[in-house]
Amino acid sequence: MAIDSSVVLPRAWPRRHIGKLLLGMGALCGLVYFAQHSPVLKALLQWSPALAAGFGQNILISLLAIGSGSVAGLLVGAMVLSPLRLLRWPARLWVQVFRNAPWLVLIYFTTYVFPFEIRIGSTYVAFPDWVKVTLGLALPASANVAEIFRGAIASIPSTQWEAARSLAFSRGQIFRSIILPQCFKRMLPPWMNLYAVITMGTALASLVGVHDVIDTAQIASNTVNQTGFTVVIYLSLLVLFFAYCYPISRFTQYLERRYAFY
Amino acid sequence: MTHWLEAFVHWSAGFGLNYNFLVDAYQRGTLQQGALTTLLLCLLTIVGSLLAGVGLAAMLTSGKPWLAGPARVFVEVTRNTPTLVQLYCAFLVLNMLLTQAVGAANPLTPFAWVVIVISLHKGAFHAEALRAGIEAVPTVTMEAASSLAFNNRQLLWSVQLPLALRFALPALINNLIDLVKMTAVASAIAVGDITYAAIMIWTQSDNVLELMILILGFFGLLSFTVNCVGRWLEARLRMPGYGH
Repeated sequence: MAIDSSVVLPRAWPRRHIGKLLLGMGALCGLVYFAQHSPVLKALLQWSPALAAGFGQNILISLLAIGSGSVAGLLVGAMVLSPLRLLRWPARLWVQVFRNAPWLVLIYFTTYVFPFEIRIGSTYVAFPDWVKVTLGLALPASANVAEIFRGAIASIPSTQWEAARSLAFSRGQIFRSIILPQCFKRMLPPWMNLYAVITMGTALASLVGVHDVIDTAQIASNTVNQTGFTVVIYLSLLVLFFAYCYPISRFTQYLERRYAFY
Repeated sequence: MTHWLEAFVHWSAGFGLNYNFLVDAYQRGTLQQGALTTLLLCLLTIVGSLLAGVGLAAMLTSGKPWLAGPARVFVEVTRNTPTLVQLYCAFLVLNMLLTQAVGAANPLTPFAWVVIVISLHKGAFHAEALRAGIEAVPTVTMEAASSLAFNNRQLLWSVQLPLALRFALPALINNLIDLVKMTAVASAIAVGDITYAAIMIWTQSDNVLELMILILGFFGLLSFTVNCVGRWLEARLRMPGYGH
């Protein structure tokens, strides 16, 4: 027997999007059809596997950066909240420095300061540029995740702490079983926002010589050397990034509305 | 001045940092020129982005679909694409088309393109903050003002915007600090800002770490200044009964 809920949740995928999706697919089919007749679109079709591979590099960098940044950020965030001054101050310095530094400068920093290979024992392990860029993006990511974590903890009403303490919970128990489970929900929207921003930040990787989508587009534009093609390829960069980041931002907005219970 | 610099170079050499380029008149001049360019860039883009933000926010909240629609599309596209790609689209595509159209008489330098692109980019973020501020103005205040025979433009400029500005100020200051940091992308199209000057120096003398510390300090100082001005403005504009 179905139980009717009085709360009607907004649909994650309202029906009105299907028309837009069909329109987009129709436009794509038309593009592929007309591509056989126009030299510019033919060249774009020819270069699209290279562009896709470049964009894959961008996505790989962004995923690794948010992953390592989140782990480091949670650690730093926990240190910021620590009652020990010896742990708190370095963590605060970390957050302040890496939140206030321009991302481009941090990427230059990791690219040029770290060596291009690391010696472990007697073998040399290559330290490629894209890993350095990942580290360069993970540094500000960790500082931002630490702030998101701190903000989420601070958003839990202090009455919950007091109530839990009056029930004889210890500090660790309060964190584990009362505060943290609520924090993950609150951290999700800003964390996804940060992921979208980092994905856009991977565009800077091309400036230090990583073969990402922008580097590919520049090579393509110089190779084909046609005005029309240059216009189309840079616009397609805009479209690619928009197509990846806009759904994330819409989903974030949806989650924000969904979790807006406080 | 040079005496102090030499003392500093000696002192930092004790830590193994090579700040010798500060004594060299040419390299110091490049760096100073770069710092001035970054400052000028920041000032122009702060003014430009605020103007663009007010314009876009007015369009977004006008209630006319033919104004609000394009503004919404512009804001969403700007917020969901990288600044660097926008800069390339403007400088490598629009600038190329412009040069092909008017030849060598193209009036727009790379510096001008950076100012335009960053102003519009941050303008979109300002517009969102201002829109939230405008929507936070209580409707009773607006009704009271319109009952006093304010017309639409007067309502916007004398009632809605002053209140919205106060609501949106923290977000705007946040955006401006972001803007200061964003000016570093100007080096991507060879505008001689401080990042570009530093790249020029470290390709010659291989002292990346020293220059990085200098640049981070410089940008830290700039964002700290913006932060202080923002706090002063917040305290100055504070009205009893609004905010805390």
